Amino acid sequence: MSAAAAAVGGGLRAVAVNMLGVVEHPSLGGTPYRVDAEGRPYLPVGDGGLVLGVRLGDPVSALAGDHVAPGACLVHPDPAARLALVSYGCLGNEVEVRTGRAAGARGAVIGKRGEDGRLITGFRQEDLARMRPGDEVTVRACGQGWQPRVPPGAVAMNAGPGLLDALPVSWPGHGPMTVGVRMILPSKVAGNGIGRPAAAWDLDLQLAAGASGAGVPGVATGDGEMPGADGLLLGDLVAVTDLDARHNMGYRRGWLTVGVVVHGTSPLPGHGPGITPLLTGPVSVLSAAADATGHTGLTEWGVGLQ
Amino acid sequence: MNVTTNAPRLVRQALTGEVWPPVGDRHVYRTGPDGQAFALPGMGGMTLGMHCGDPATGYASDHLEPGASVRHRNPGANMALQFLTCVGNAVRVEAGPAAGTVGHVIGQHAYVLVDFGGPVGERVTTGDPVTVTAIGQGLVLPEHPAIVVKNCDPGLLARMPGGTRPDGRLEVHVTARIPAEAVGAGTGMVSEYANTDLMGAYAGLGDDLSLGLEGLRIGDLVAVADADHRFGRGYRPGFLTIGVISTGQCMLFGHGPGPSSLMSGPAEAFALVDDPDANLASWLHGDTEPVQ
Repeated sequence: MSAAAAAVGGGLRAVAVNMLGVVEHPSLGGTPYRVDAEGRPYLPVGDGGLVLGVRLGDPVSALAGDHVAPGACLVHPDPAARLALVSYGCLGNEVEVRTGRAAGARGAVIGKRGEDGRLITGFRQEDLARMRPGDEVTVRACGQGWQPRVPPGAVAMNAGPGLLDALPVSWPGHGPMTVGVRMILPSKVAGNGIGRPAAAWDLDLQLAAGASGAGVPGVATGDGEMPGADGLLLGDLVAVTDLDARHNMGYRRGWLTVGVVVHGTSPLPGHGPGITPLLTGPVSVLSAAADATGHTGLTEWGVGLQ
Repeated sequence: MNVTTNAPRLVRQALTGEVWPPVGDRHVYRTGPDGQAFALPGMGGMTLGMHCGDPATGYASDHLEPGASVRHRNPGANMALQFLTCVGNAVRVEAGPAAGTVGHVIGQHAYVLVDFGGPVGERVTTGDPVTVTAIGQGLVLPEHPAIVVKNCDPGLLARMPGGTRPDGRLEVHVTARIPAEAVGAGTGMVSEYANTDLMGAYAGLGDDLSLGLEGLRIGDLVAVADADHRFGRGYRPGFLTIGVISTGQCMLFGHGPGPSSLMSGPAEAFALVDDPDANLASWLHGDTEPVQ
């Protein structure tokens, strides 16, 4: 891998595109149930759509929901346009409601989700309370492919211009870039999202909704300890070791990927709180410093929601 | 396998499908570990020249699917075909030059994958209709309540070595033990559909990608560490999943040779035996009687 290839977009100006997002309505099949790791049925609440009362900084495991994201998920009725919305939208990008009672309200992209694609947008709670599924939102998409100031060999993605300035990221212009994170996790907890393109998918972290070692409730057998999601907040930065996210996400020894937590836990096996990747690179140019109690990641203030 | 099952109570059902074509799009290329653009065969159609027991990697291929790749034309019927078909089920070719040929299912990969066990596959091509005699979902081992079995023909299970040990554990023979770090795409999906891609088996690519899995063979039984596939596929320390390698070489990053899930439960419920002959080739075509 040459440095030149790694820096596609390096030195070039970012292009902004106004895109149309539509506030998603949740959808379910003919049976409401999904099945958790113990084989128990559950009804997924908050998996997409417009979620009220959940904010950046809230614990990822505080709610009896599934993949709950803070704010409004945006989609597009055309599947290809929906994927483009998610691929080009970047964290920190400005959004503005165009229709409905909240027309004129401004917010920001605070995450994205994979599969069919969802752009997660944050608004002030009083604006979210006046919004409804179907409302149209303009997304000023800007930043994908463009490279902010990062060490040679590292690659940034999904970050709008200025986003890294609002995060605990420091690089003196030489040596490795250091990122403050809540926790550093091994690649084996990486779940859904592995093998998928980091520009359009989040990566679910397979963490139990509780304390480390608590395992999954109701399990009497199995001698291992499931790492827990306690202490992890929406908006936190998390580092995953031995993970290369330049294109598709996959195992590569000696690499590190840093992402921002964009949604909460899930009872579904192989799923959990998801990160949208922001930075990836060899550990020689990208390092993480964990602070379990003092870390501050993406905040409402950081994206102009306060 | 010397184990008590509920096999007499299982339902046998005839399902249909056809050998499904490889599909592409006008942009042709996909992306490898270092951003390499590639256009490689592997998925769909009738892939020739490799069978159970052959190396899974070392081919100019992506998502190598040995043998015939089968789907049903109707989306709902296709999901039934994918969910109900089990490894070891007999598959009969119904039309074309190979009509009457019988092969067996080696796994699922969003296609049902069929090995014909010899050169007869040379006469099978895209569009040929097939009948799957599906049996196996619902299989239970009453003496091993912690272990969930799925996607496994009871006839295949009977021909496998191992079984209930005096200490109550289930003895299973495997060719390889897979570390949790290798588990790639497929995590989070239901375990009756497609398979689990294993990373770290990119034969010919960088050492920093390797987890020492380049020696896997098509049809190998493997044990995946810290994997709970009882009701979906997820990471879970202390659990174990037994699978059969049903797909091979990948260039797409985060993907690789994949086991279709056969059994899953707490690790202490199993007694693993390392056995280089633990491959479908040893047992797959044991029922030589053609399906009528």
